[in-house]
Amino acid sequence: MNPLIKNWRISVLGAALIIAIAIILVNGLVFGIDFEGGTTMQIELQEEVSSDEISRIASIINQRIDPSGLKDASVSPVGNKFIIVDLAETDSSELEKIESRIRKQGKFEATINGETTFTGDEIVAVLRGSSGYGVFQAGKQVQWILPFVLNEQAARRFMEDTFHQCAAVSFNASGTPVYDCESTYFFLDKPEALIVIGEDQYYSDVDLFYVGNRQKNIPSGIEIDELIENSQLEVINYDATTNFDDYNLSTLLVETNTVIVSPDVPKTAIIALQEKGFTVETLENESGVPWVWNALSVQQIISLTEEVTNEDVVDISQAELITTLTIRGTRPDVFEAREDLEELTILLESGSLPTPVKSISRETISPSLGESFKSYVVWMGIISLIIVVIVILARYRMPKLALPIVLTGLSEVIITMGVLALLQRPLDLAAFAGLIAAVGTGVDSQIVIADEIIRGDKEDVHESLITRAKNALFIIMAAALTTIGVMFPLLVFSFGLGKLVGFAWTVIIGALIGILITRPAFAKIVQKII
Amino acid sequence: MDILDGFYGKHYKKYIALPAVLFVVFAFIAFIYPGIPQGIDLTGGTEIIVHSQTQINVSEVQSILEEEFQLTELTVIQTASGFRIKYSNDPKSVEAEELIIQAENSLDNESESIEYSRQAMLVLNKETQETYANPKLALLAAQTALADYKEVFSQTLLDMLSEKLGLGENVSFQRREVSPTLGSTFYQSGIMVALWSTILVILVVFAFFRKIVPSMAIILAAILDILAAMAGMALFNIPLSLASIPALMMLIGYSVDTDIMLTHRLTKRSTVPAFQRATESMKTGLTMTGTTLAALTAMLLISYFYQIDIIYQIAAVLVFGLIGDLFATWFMNAPILLWYTEKKGGKL
Repeated sequence: MNPLIKNWRISVLGAALIIAIAIILVNGLVFGIDFEGGTTMQIELQEEVSSDEISRIASIINQRIDPSGLKDASVSPVGNKFIIVDLAETDSSELEKIESRIRKQGKFEATINGETTFTGDEIVAVLRGSSGYGVFQAGKQVQWILPFVLNEQAARRFMEDTFHQCAAVSFNASGTPVYDCESTYFFLDKPEALIVIGEDQYYSDVDLFYVGNRQKNIPSGIEIDELIENSQLEVINYDATTNFDDYNLSTLLVETNTVIVSPDVPKTAIIALQEKGFTVETLENESGVPWVWNALSVQQIISLTEEVTNEDVVDISQAELITTLTIRGTRPDVFEAREDLEELTILLESGSLPTPVKSISRETISPSLGESFKSYVVWMGIISLIIVVIVILARYRMPKLALPIVLTGLSEVIITMGVLALLQRPLDLAAFAGLIAAVGTGVDSQIVIADEIIRGDKEDVHESLITRAKNALFIIMAAALTTIGVMFPLLVFSFGLGKLVGFAWTVIIGALIGILITRPAFAKIVQKII
Repeated sequence: MDILDGFYGKHYKKYIALPAVLFVVFAFIAFIYPGIPQGIDLTGGTEIIVHSQTQINVSEVQSILEEEFQLTELTVIQTASGFRIKYSNDPKSVEAEELIIQAENSLDNESESIEYSRQAMLVLNKETQETYANPKLALLAAQTALADYKEVFSQTLLDMLSEKLGLGENVSFQRREVSPTLGSTFYQSGIMVALWSTILVILVVFAFFRKIVPSMAIILAAILDILAAMAGMALFNIPLSLASIPALMMLIGYSVDTDIMLTHRLTKRSTVPAFQRATESMKTGLTMTGTTLAALTAMLLISYFYQIDIIYQIAAVLVFGLIGDLFATWFMNAPILLWYTEKKGGKL
């Protein structure tokens, strides 16, 4: 055996095996959702987009699903309208949350005095790591604070819009003035719709705004008309005298055909709107929350402070440019506060989707099903191997030949897995099938090698052992290259077709390892032992 | 294996009749009757996996679904832990979908487009008292109606099944829907992949053998293998899907193993007669295909009983294809090469 070990082909095989095992131990195998349990989501966009755009959308979605980058989620565009997401999550409430986060378009807008002062796209960064970021106890309530940085253009606009927007209303005991300031209104995914609010709803909303709602983070004392003005949406106060013909609805129709109406708007008004070509959606009331708050998708209303509005200087040229602002909110308990903060942070960091999501369908494989798949395929591998050994023994009746074939097959499996672990490619059912297929062609090649060398052309005087080995290597080289040639287009043309790609990768890796490492070594072993 | 000695003799040309007949038969089964079913991966459609311990009768499920819902391309398959329902879509939503596409295409002709949208809503039993002036609005209303309809539909279907079959509490559903547009995207990539694979295989084979007849014989054999696999898919109702397409490609890889071995041994210079070389090659080839077939059959059986769909489809395609390969290689490729050797003045 000694000269055998010295042969370089066999040393290469041994080295490859050791390295592969080391990589598997260090990196670990990545199992796909077939084995680990997980969910595949198929996201359809509202319309087809360019390929640049779809990869941008995919990266936004990726950030929303996995803001920390710790979960292993794979997000891949398919064509120009679809995005397929594989993630490890199987808990349905968590999935609902992720789904709703993907569905949000994430259009974030801040307005002052009825004018947009900045949008989410102008936010450069959320200061996640700063000491100001987080949830803090504030009396009985919990306050969350989210500091963020605006780009310079938006910061300048914000400075101009807020300049001297506070008015001193009185002085306190120590003589410093007490200010009453304008508010900034924040909207998240404000609907593109006409809003029709009934008379009864309007007055009940006025009352609700007067007291506010701490649970829902609605400050007290909001002026409903000011809020409506800041939403920049067309809002109709509906009462018995309202005639829709008085409003210029046909110009509005060009932009949107959706109307959101409060539950008290009568059927006749709804029909009148439908006749004009609108699709009418009735938004239900949520107890304790002004209807219009939900209808306008208000995220937050925050009063400005005198530091922000530069009350201390007279002229705007002396005003200080503030680029770091904060959004804050209160919640009754820490968990809700943390969740609010987290959701808003994710949306602001990921930015808004250029095209909204039309539908999401998903399929979940439970971890226990995955676990049983894992044990089935292990058995499949073992049984296949046993069958191969039986067939080889029946054919050649040489146990010393069967052993190297099994060992070579096993080393192909191990080295291929090592490469998968190195590339961090997931092993799923399709990849497993590819592995078996690759090892199958490997066994074929070994039979060719064995046959060439043992039998070859027995009577052929021209052929030495070495020529025969060369013949065998020509055959297996041609066979492996065809296999690689056949599988290669699967890698190139099937982005996102996870199943196809996993299969193709393992077959190609397996075939390459076969021709480069294991089969030459096997040829050497057979030459020596025969 | 010694029985095989003398398999190739003077009568070798007659063997070609068998693969010639098989070509026609396989093509007929695969493309004309019964034809290969297309999976929801490619056509779009809905698949519902029902996990239930209650004993159920598959034909009962089938007849309930047929009577109550008029589903097209409905298949119900019994599984170890319940059953699996696949349908392309119900006729109403298919009809509505077609009308909506027409409405979309005729947006320029306002009254026509509005009429299509209106009809689509009529099909879906959606009351349409509103008269639309704007075709886009009419279209949007029709699209919304369709989405609502589909959602209500699948829920009604599941409720109906639970009720009629008395599935009770311990039942769970796993639903997967592929939209027709996504399906057609998959389909297009599938065709693209198949085209390029074919081109690359032809290039590799020609690069290695550099002679027209042997190379063509190898490619012809691969085609017969794929036809055999497709015929098997048609007979056993295995759909063309994201799992079976790469398996068909892989089949090319497998089938050329034996072909290349045979071709190499027959075309090289040798003092041994060609008939004997062919027979020796056959012994080697049968061992190769035999081991692979045996291992794949084990995979096929296990994956069938444990409902591992992906592996089942891949293994089934490879098994059918390799059976076809036995005929393609030893009844077609070998005689062609022997004839080629004879023409070139080689010693048979």
